[in-house]
Amino acid sequence: MALRTEEFVVNMGPHHPSTHGVCRLVLTLDGERVKKVEPVIGYLHRSIEKICENRTYPQCIPMFDRIEYVTSMSCNQVFAMAAERLAEIEVPERAEYLRVIMLELNRIASHLLFYGVTAMDIGAYTPFLYGLRERELIIDLFEMTCGQRLTYNYIRIGGVSHDIPPEFVPKCREAMRIIGQKMADYEGLLNENPIWLARTKDIGILRAEDAIAWGVSGPVLRASGVKHDLRKDDPYSIYDRFDFEIPVQKNGDTFDRYIQRLDEIRESIKIVNQALNGLEGVEDDKIKAKVSPNFKPPAGEAYARIENSRGELGTYLISDGTKKPLRVKTRGGSYNQLQALPLMCHDVLVADLVAIFATLDVIMPEVDR
Amino acid sequence: MTRDELKDAISNKFKDRVTHLEAGKYDPLFEVKADDLVDICQQLKDDPELSFDYLANLGGVDTTEHFEVVYNLASVHKKLRVDLKVILPYDQAEIDSVIEIWPAANWYEREMWELYGINVRNHPNLSRFLLPDDWDQGFPMRKDWDAPDFIRMPER
Repeated sequence: MALRTEEFVVNMGPHHPSTHGVCRLVLTLDGERVKKVEPVIGYLHRSIEKICENRTYPQCIPMFDRIEYVTSMSCNQVFAMAAERLAEIEVPERAEYLRVIMLELNRIASHLLFYGVTAMDIGAYTPFLYGLRERELIIDLFEMTCGQRLTYNYIRIGGVSHDIPPEFVPKCREAMRIIGQKMADYEGLLNENPIWLARTKDIGILRAEDAIAWGVSGPVLRASGVKHDLRKDDPYSIYDRFDFEIPVQKNGDTFDRYIQRLDEIRESIKIVNQALNGLEGVEDDKIKAKVSPNFKPPAGEAYARIENSRGELGTYLISDGTKKPLRVKTRGGSYNQLQALPLMCHDVLVADLVAIFATLDVIMPEVDR
Repeated sequence: MTRDELKDAISNKFKDRVTHLEAGKYDPLFEVKADDLVDICQQLKDDPELSFDYLANLGGVDTTEHFEVVYNLASVHKKLRVDLKVILPYDQAEIDSVIEIWPAANWYEREMWELYGINVRNHPNLSRFLLPDDWDQGFPMRKDWDAPDFIRMPER
């Protein structure tokens, strides 16, 4: 007697440990195989864009910290950049160096967190401890500089809020040296581990042309083989002064997305070291251009975009000449990555879906805003 | 291609179908008629010199005089950036979908439909998105909408 089979629908989330926040995935399953996946978002919607319309420009920056708390330096930076483009503010050179150092440190911290939680989602616990151990070194540097460990409010319109303390530079060099050394440990744990390879190789392939069409950016796009990095392609701040490579992979599978992040940590360490050297050569110790608390940029609109650890973080800012913005529209890499998730989940196992979702490195507050 | 060259290239290509706006402070900004939007977007994507294959951002705007829809386009291979803007009067808040050109537009248009009440023609799935499923309090991103517990401070 043949048994009757039928597809069934399962809700994964909103409260599920591997959805990194509150994302609900509606799965249509045929046994263990995923036939269809539909992300449902909105559980973290705080309407930051609307709140910003009722804030002055400097008051918007702490709101931006909360858009994406894992790399909130870059959220500060993108808003400050958009406002500086509107008002044509020149940022002091020392502040530019400090910004680059902080942005790259934040990228390393975010990728270390990615390394840990991705491995934990797939079932390896030790990498989580390793990743968070080295991330702590960077978080300490941020705390030393601006007093905050998570939402920094450090990069302001026209510069940065504080100069670094004297012990920052030696501690930062030491942290870069330690992380550079530990990279071999990270890779040694996973890269040749047969279980890890079975779980990640050729799983959840995203083709390059699909990635571009669906607006995917950042490490996920580069893992699919597209050499696109805004630090090189649309240079902002002073990134054109540094010598670094853009790593790319070929296949666009889960393994490539994982290894892509580790390659990027190496490049970021290079940039931080060069920026620390460059900072010593800056004579002027001014860290902030003169910006009034009643900052009123002239009427106009500007789009600023930067490469953060999840891809293109962009802000479209419209000013009507008053001290509050008329419109603030933000896009984050996670939004498009999550939108493209169904493309990668064609006929995969439920356990693989968790692995794919983990390597997209989605941060839900950035999706919902 | 520099920003000025890009501006001239698009102005020459579309002649009077696009209007260059001085409001764009950094990248070129063009105003496009709502009826012309899909055709212009398709040509911007297909043109081998421009090849705007990447929709970076899309969002509605309420200026208190009319709605606007802004498209931030980018070209991954040519490394270009341009913004398009469509102006919609309040009584004709309706625009064609660009999903056929850039699938990425799907969620952006859905968000705009939900938060601004700008209808999107030919969109496959206009349903509740960021707001709760039982939301019945209108369109929160419109300028005349305030949260029920929100008290506006007097301007100083």
